Amino acid sequence: MANYFNTLPLREKLNQLGVCDFMDSSEFLDGVSALKGKKLVIVGCGAQGLNQGLNLRDSGLDVSYTLRKEAIEGKRDSWKNATENNFKVGTYEELIPTADVVINLTPDKQHTAVVNAIMPLMKDGATLLYSHGFNIVEEGMQIRKDLTVIMVAPKCPGSEVRAEYVRGFGVPTLIAVHPENDPQGKGLAQAKAYCVGTGGHRAGVLKSSFVAEVKSDLMGEQTILCGLLQTGSILSFDKMVEKGIDAGYASKLVQYGVEVITEALKQGGITAMMDRLSNVAKIKAFEISEELKDIMRPLFQKHQDDIMSGEFSRTMMEDWAAGDKNLLKWRAETGETAFEKTPAGDVKIGEQEYFNNYLLMVAFVRAGVELAFETMVQAGIKPESAYYESLHETPLIANTIARKKLFEMNRVISDTAEYGCYLFDQACKPLLADFMKKVDTDLVGKNFNEGKDGAVDNRKLIDVNEAIRSHEVEQIGATLRKAMTAMKAIKTA
Amino acid sequence: MQPLVNIQNLSLKYQQKSVLTDLNWTINCGENWVLTGTSGSGKTSLAKIIAGQQNAVREVKINFNSNSNLPAEVLFVDSWYQFKNLEGVANFYYQQRYTSQQAKDTLTVHAELVGYGKEKGLHLNQVEPILEALNFSSFASSQLIELSSGEHKKLQLVKALWLKPQLLIIDQPYTGLDALSRKNLNVLLDKIAEEGVQLILISNDDELPYAVNRFAEIIDGQLLEIEAFKGTLTVENKSKEIPDFLKSSPIYSSEQIAKMVDVNISYGDKQVLKNINWEIKAGEKWLLQGHNGSGKSTLLSLINGDHPQSYANELYLFGNKRGSGESIWDIKQHIGLISPEFHWYFDASATVWQSIASGFYDTVGLFQQLPYSKSQQVDELIEYFELTENKNELLNHLPLGKQRLVLLARTIIKNPELLILDEPCQGLDQQQTQYFNQLIDELCANGMTVIYVGHFDTQLPKTLTNKLVLSQGKVIENTKAYKKQLVS
Repeated sequence: MANYFNTLPLREKLNQLGVCDFMDSSEFLDGVSALKGKKLVIVGCGAQGLNQGLNLRDSGLDVSYTLRKEAIEGKRDSWKNATENNFKVGTYEELIPTADVVINLTPDKQHTAVVNAIMPLMKDGATLLYSHGFNIVEEGMQIRKDLTVIMVAPKCPGSEVRAEYVRGFGVPTLIAVHPENDPQGKGLAQAKAYCVGTGGHRAGVLKSSFVAEVKSDLMGEQTILCGLLQTGSILSFDKMVEKGIDAGYASKLVQYGVEVITEALKQGGITAMMDRLSNVAKIKAFEISEELKDIMRPLFQKHQDDIMSGEFSRTMMEDWAAGDKNLLKWRAETGETAFEKTPAGDVKIGEQEYFNNYLLMVAFVRAGVELAFETMVQAGIKPESAYYESLHETPLIANTIARKKLFEMNRVISDTAEYGCYLFDQACKPLLADFMKKVDTDLVGKNFNEGKDGAVDNRKLIDVNEAIRSHEVEQIGATLRKAMTAMKAIKTA
Repeated sequence: MQPLVNIQNLSLKYQQKSVLTDLNWTINCGENWVLTGTSGSGKTSLAKIIAGQQNAVREVKINFNSNSNLPAEVLFVDSWYQFKNLEGVANFYYQQRYTSQQAKDTLTVHAELVGYGKEKGLHLNQVEPILEALNFSSFASSQLIELSSGEHKKLQLVKALWLKPQLLIIDQPYTGLDALSRKNLNVLLDKIAEEGVQLILISNDDELPYAVNRFAEIIDGQLLEIEAFKGTLTVENKSKEIPDFLKSSPIYSSEQIAKMVDVNISYGDKQVLKNINWEIKAGEKWLLQGHNGSGKSTLLSLINGDHPQSYANELYLFGNKRGSGESIWDIKQHIGLISPEFHWYFDASATVWQSIASGFYDTVGLFQQLPYSKSQQVDELIEYFELTENKNELLNHLPLGKQRLVLLARTIIKNPELLILDEPCQGLDQQQTQYFNQLIDELCANGMTVIYVGHFDTQLPKTLTNKLVLSQGKVIENTKAYKKQLVS
């Protein structure tokens, strides 16, 4: 199978990368009717599978699950999840032929095998739904021409998809129709109805394309979301220990700090995050984040280039073929870092203290979000897509670090994200070596404001505020966040 | 001998308001107090200060008895419980208890008790009789998230009775407990009082342990000793008129509100509802009773569209068979619901006004603009519940009793066909309870259908006529017009 994106002429590449339409709520007035009475069969019953299915059924749709024979016979967790919540469960042979819509919610790595197994069983004119486009775009999976291929990707973990639905809201969602597979022109109507079924239509829906979703999703997860948070966390912890800060304190500051800091980011963008700092601290954080941007820009660009050319997915798929040799090795190494092995100390850290004593992370986050956003937009991805894959998701990943450090983050995210994260981390650390030599405990571990009288130059402060606020990620963010009203605050430690 | 607790001139401000002013209180050896007061009078704040949960203050002196072999500790048992999952996250949601997910995410009761015993140096064999007495032994393997509010309350009480601290303060010891458990709790409290534990019970109830020998009430920020417990207050009938929009009868879409035919619910091997048959017709007023853990909240979750297993049962709601293409929002629009669990999981970071308004859409939090006529109704109801001065405050800045009033207003805001009131008056003082029950009586007179769960027979609305009683997941009584039978 050939990389789909690389088979396209440049005109069509740009065309598909540029699909980006933030949908008005009036587009969803038809509710779930395009799927009403249709048979929805979900392949896989993990966190996304179960929770999306619960939502769809509670929206009045007909949902059942299909699992591999071994999962059913072995009464695995996926089988228990489905049966104990009173869903019908059957093998591919039993359920796929009856399905009007087959929803593939298995891990990326299994997509080729799963799709090859189910496609011959699907009835004429049915729909195949993905929640990630890797299989179509990077692996170039060819789908039978009579089938409609759509994507619905809730931009949150499965548990949130359910929790937001039952409180009467939803999570922001991205939808797409594969232009090669929309023979009846019903793809968009079905994708919209699916959004209503999971509640996503209440929190903002972005119409994208398979291509734009894959190229931006890969970029975001490798760089700012997982890669930089991992690099920044490890470097910060090691610096504190090197400078004699108590290891338990350092561990807690790093584990929970990124969650507390990015909570401000979630609610009011980079502006709100920077505004949590005093004026002197803000100017300092601005200056070092500018420096970090200059240092890391070539690395961000390299990642984007490798993603666009298909080089990234080619090397990763080689590792799949080699039984995840590199992935497993790097995963084990991450488990051995001092940060991972030092439990968070039993010390109380106040909410503001996380900002005052962890200015370095504020600078990392600003630099990473802006760089990822800028690099994506320069590569032809629209600002709305770039926003979702950078700023919007950062607090969600930060939340997984607060739960169980980097091990948990790498467990929750996809293998694809994890693989890219390690690549970034390995290249980024040496790049930052000289920079880190200059870092002292005023930036990480101790209160930056201590011993300073807080005075700043008016002109300087005005310029810094202007630079932060006028960045394009802030402009587009303000518009998109308005649509995602009443986002639930993540409880902080 | 020095008094156990000595408080001199204690003042406390919350935001700009004075809660306690120059309060004095001496608790001598051998005394067991009941502390009472209206909702928001500062009872819980005072208790937390004594327990050292607020910042330590100079005005409060605790003198433990160094000759006692009981732990020199003040233990405060909250009227509200909180638990976290194994990863330390507390953001659960109300319906989550009913969904079966293989990731066993919270501790079991047994593991929780083992951990507590280890932390406090207690022997596990001493907790067994307490579990027996509170009828809690069978929950050892339950996950914390599976427990109902009454069961959580018991878990907190079990820990306190096991620890036997020198001073034990319990905020609302009886809320959520069934009649038998309340009786057994009093026996246990008397027993530990005899062993030297001193008690402060924050309660407006009158079934108290014998050991209680002093009574106090907080009035205007000061502690006033009162003779004995006043018993049930009778307040004059409230003459205040209910808002006009609540006077019209609900419009019923079906004569049949709910019908269950041989309904069974189980989690793995544990069956929580067994062959339930129950029919509710429009306009009926039901009392639902049963011991803690008898399956009441599971039963109600079926009617409210929250239980995933309803799809596998023969259940009819508002004239439609469950699972025939309706959404849970189609069901909820007919219903106003409150329960201790709902309150517990409610998103308290919304304002009072928003919380009430969200009742129009059955959402937890307000996600849309209200049309003018509806926002008028919210204002009228806020006025009626005397919450006007709090209307822009965040829910979690209010005392629990006031929060409860807000959620009660939310429950009736859309003048629903069916009201599900699962222990609605928990945390309210007696006057508020009576006012609320009078309101329910008025709404009932206009034809609303009601299911009411209440453990205190003296604190029920008058209009309830039918009764369903559960025991161990089975219906043991299903009577229409039970009151008439009582009379004859």
